[in-house]
Amino acid sequence: MTAHPVESSATALSPDTAGKQRWFRRGKDKRVRSLWRGGETLAAYLFLLPYLFVLLVFFILVSFYGVGLSFFTVDLGFTPPEFVGFHNYQQLFQQLFTNPSLSPFWISIVNIIKFTVIVVSVQTVLALALALLLQTLVRGKGIFRTAFYIPALTSSVATSLIFLWLYNPDGLINYVLSLVHVAGPDWLNDPFWALPALMMLNIWSTAAAFMIYFLAALQDLPREVLEAAEVDGANRFQSFWQITVPLLRPTIFLVVALGTIGTFQMFDQAKFMTNGGPLNSTLTPMLEIYNAAFNNSRFGSAAAMSVILFLLIFVVTLLQRRVIDTSIQE
Amino acid sequence: MAQVPTALHTGEQARVVTPKTRRGPRLSWWQLVFVVFLGVFLVTSLGPLVFTLISSFKTMHDVLAFPPSLLPNPWTWSNYTEVVSNPYFLRWILNALIYAGGATVLNVIFSAMAGYALSRMHFPGRKLIFTFTLAVMMIPSAITLIPKFLVVNTLHMNNTFFALILPAMAQPFSVFIMVQFMKTLPKELEESARIDGASRWRTFYQVILPLVKPALAVVAILTFQGAWNDFQWPLVALGTQDMYTLPLGLFFFKSAHYTQYNLLLAGSIFNIVPILLLFFIFQRYFIGVALGSSVKG
Repeated sequence: MTAHPVESSATALSPDTAGKQRWFRRGKDKRVRSLWRGGETLAAYLFLLPYLFVLLVFFILVSFYGVGLSFFTVDLGFTPPEFVGFHNYQQLFQQLFTNPSLSPFWISIVNIIKFTVIVVSVQTVLALALALLLQTLVRGKGIFRTAFYIPALTSSVATSLIFLWLYNPDGLINYVLSLVHVAGPDWLNDPFWALPALMMLNIWSTAAAFMIYFLAALQDLPREVLEAAEVDGANRFQSFWQITVPLLRPTIFLVVALGTIGTFQMFDQAKFMTNGGPLNSTLTPMLEIYNAAFNNSRFGSAAAMSVILFLLIFVVTLLQRRVIDTSIQE
Repeated sequence: MAQVPTALHTGEQARVVTPKTRRGPRLSWWQLVFVVFLGVFLVTSLGPLVFTLISSFKTMHDVLAFPPSLLPNPWTWSNYTEVVSNPYFLRWILNALIYAGGATVLNVIFSAMAGYALSRMHFPGRKLIFTFTLAVMMIPSAITLIPKFLVVNTLHMNNTFFALILPAMAQPFSVFIMVQFMKTLPKELEESARIDGASRWRTFYQVILPLVKPALAVVAILTFQGAWNDFQWPLVALGTQDMYTLPLGLFFFKSAHYTQYNLLLAGSIFNIVPILLLFFIFQRYFIGVALGSSVKG
């Protein structure tokens, strides 16, 4: 934030306004003012105390701890932590270069890349389409917005339970498919279909949250530009592709980036519905990190996986920014 | 769904005001496509939840029937009574309320305090703290999950409410929202409060807080929703059944009643309904969360 000179301008104001009061309550004013001025730093830090505790311990310390941990082997309670340098990383990359299809971590990375590419692209397009549809409504916009938004409010556990039932071989989804003479698979027990099933669930539950971002951005579009285009004889599709989409670039980047960061860390549904199966087809990096740490007590190795995942997310987000939000570089 | 005819109606309204279409009373093809899309999206977004609610009143045989039946036959409350009769179920709801309630109350107070200091006071280190606030918002939970567990473990706090509430009691994103709101208030507020002899603390809670009620509501709703729906952190931090929050309880409930979808659906309703109630009471704030964050940037 820009450091607005809040306090200095406030004190500049004080002499004339405070002057009138001084006759009545000189003593109190003096006391209060010295308290306000002198103790400002102290007061500020007292206000900040609880937050600083959380920020330092559960965000900053913990982040460094996480990176540091990846250079140790830690098995809780049995032997003291041992510094091993890059051993944890070496092991992971050795698996990558020898036989990645046998390494749960690299399988999970491949899974999550497929998952992210499909979920993020479909949900972004869907969110934009929903927002554009709602934008054309004259009445009932609020009702539809609310209705579309409800899946985004529902907890991942509740939606996982519901879709566990809907994805049943004899469930509602296969029934709907049978109406159009398609024999639906046993979604969550089929190594090919389990990941797409989770993709659909994820798109269903998050697209509407991102629709809200597009709705907000569409409302802020400069109306004159679109009207000028209409006067110049641009049709709907031309003005959409050549005016609306370029103006929405920052929002598209925001939605794609937030979506990517979220889907790369997908955990709840994979843990809840399939626990990574069948045959590791829905194993995600977060689930593998969880398993390595809490099932196999390999905390150091799990921390190294976390760092790799973090770097992957970071690089991908930077690339997206470069490609999508070109306005930032200019 | 019942809303589709309404959509048709609104589509027609849209046509009337669009100056370009001066044909007959029929819908043009793209309006028809729009209406069909809206209807399809409406059915797909609400359908599963409505169907779940209805099916939670079905018998087990009915829930698993193929082809699925729309309405329960017969209607039964037995799923709910059976779920609630589980010795732990009410405890899980209570635990989730303690986690979500505790985190919400503390986070609203502490992030407002921090936001007040960062937006309206001058002191060395202010910029640094704000920069860190922005920076840590970008750290994904992937990197903090395991060390957070180890910290909590070292402090002997695992399987307690402290483990749940302490990390959530002052969140950087909430502080950011507070700063954004508070910095727009006029500077003269503190000045006049000071002249009236108010201390800083009184200025904060009697002058500033009432003026940022929307921000407080946004932070409260976000925190409650996050904690109430949270699955990953309770899974890591909690160990015994009596401490589970509702989402975690449902996870183990699922393993215990694997094919009894009638019970699972009734259980999930307990997780969904409180958030929906909050949503309908505070709707404008919910939408404001996303609008505020994208407009204010």
